[in-house]
Amino acid sequence: MLKDFVSFNMPPITAKERRFSRLLLFFEDIVKVPLFRCQHCGECILSSTAFICSQNCPKRLRNGPCGGTGEDGSCEVYPERKCVWYKIYYRSKLLNRMSLLYKINKIHNYNLERTSSWLNVFRKRIDPPMWFVRNDKQKVKDLISDDVQRKD
Amino acid sequence: MTFKEKIESNQFIVCGEVGPPQSCDGDVIRSKSKYFKGYVDAVNITDNQTATVRLSSIASAKILLDEGVEPIMQMTCRDRNRLAIQSDLLGAAALGIRNVLCLTGDHQTIGDQPEAKGVFDLDSIQLIATVSEMNRGFLLSGYEMKTATAFLIGAAANPFAEPFEMRLIRLHKKIEAGAHFIQTQPVFDLEIFTRWMERVVEMGLHEKTAILAGVLPVKSPKTLLWMKKEVPGVKIRDEYIHRMRDASDPEEEGVKMAVEIIQTLRNIKGVRGIHLMPAMWESITPTIIKEARLNTTN
Repeated sequence: MLKDFVSFNMPPITAKERRFSRLLLFFEDIVKVPLFRCQHCGECILSSTAFICSQNCPKRLRNGPCGGTGEDGSCEVYPERKCVWYKIYYRSKLLNRMSLLYKINKIHNYNLERTSSWLNVFRKRIDPPMWFVRNDKQKVKDLISDDVQRKD
Repeated sequence: MTFKEKIESNQFIVCGEVGPPQSCDGDVIRSKSKYFKGYVDAVNITDNQTATVRLSSIASAKILLDEGVEPIMQMTCRDRNRLAIQSDLLGAAALGIRNVLCLTGDHQTIGDQPEAKGVFDLDSIQLIATVSEMNRGFLLSGYEMKTATAFLIGAAANPFAEPFEMRLIRLHKKIEAGAHFIQTQPVFDLEIFTRWMERVVEMGLHEKTAILAGVLPVKSPKTLLWMKKEVPGVKIRDEYIHRMRDASDPEEEGVKMAVEIIQTLRNIKGVRGIHLMPAMWESITPTIIKEARLNTTN
């Protein structure tokens, strides 16, 4: 469905809210910049990427690595760096959050750039974070077997 | 038989590939169409491959269409934002182009104009979802079009890049987004490819999409070495490089190697066809198809 991957009918950002958003962003930055190298996309998907900011990817991919990851997991644009999604994969495995990698993340809403994603969650502009994942292995199995069933 | 009908049937599929020239000379593509007509089911047209400016893929696709060859137009997210992508897709549909391959695109820094701004407004999975939505009759704004497009949606997969399992997750997402066929990166490591296909079959993905394995015939050992070093995400076994180096006639050896790879690929469960991509060596396509005894009906 269209609304599953693109944001629709969002409450508009008023001038007053924008000021508040800027204030919140200041505090959000104090946490997120040193910890995750936050890129201020305003549409935070840290919880589904095992708490590594996917927006550090030179292509700003939100749905997994491009085809250029090297054998040692190096980035195709900056070979001295590790591919962000390579790190996300191994961290997801470690933290048992693999089922979240199967989710298709929405097309980025550039109106939210440099706004506070905390406020955006509160205003229901973006999906709330998923803090805990239970029975991750079972969920992945279900996702795959869903496919097998659907084709019958 | 159109490419779509062939995908829906159970026959073995052969795709070709042509790179448009770095000039406005459309005759280059017209003259190359003879290598494909009657040999392959559809031909990929690259969209500014390796981030180098070339004749646009829509125009090239139209030229091929007029020559009687069915084109698969590649569409990358590097050069266009979501508005341009949708408008270009509508334009392509109006010109009669029915197949589109959705790619993220190489990063502009590996091309000849690294100063350019990369767009990457959508990524390949979101692009596939967008085209699916347009096939249902909707634009991304939610506007319902009077006529829906009828694209056959393709996507790429790279079984050889790390991490291995992430590639299967990506494939899963692409199929969920609505990909009808998948073309893989060139196979130069049959062991990894077999392992990947086993997992694809295990997940049941091969029945929901047509997987076409990439085959790249090479002219000289230099090309192989260059690819190993410069092209990101390509894995080449040393035995192929040694074979090319030791051969007295590298071109003949290149054809022999490609035919051998095709024969092995045909016997792997789940492979629905091959995608021949001779980089700037399109003239070899008929020879390989004859040598590999691939029956093409159209």
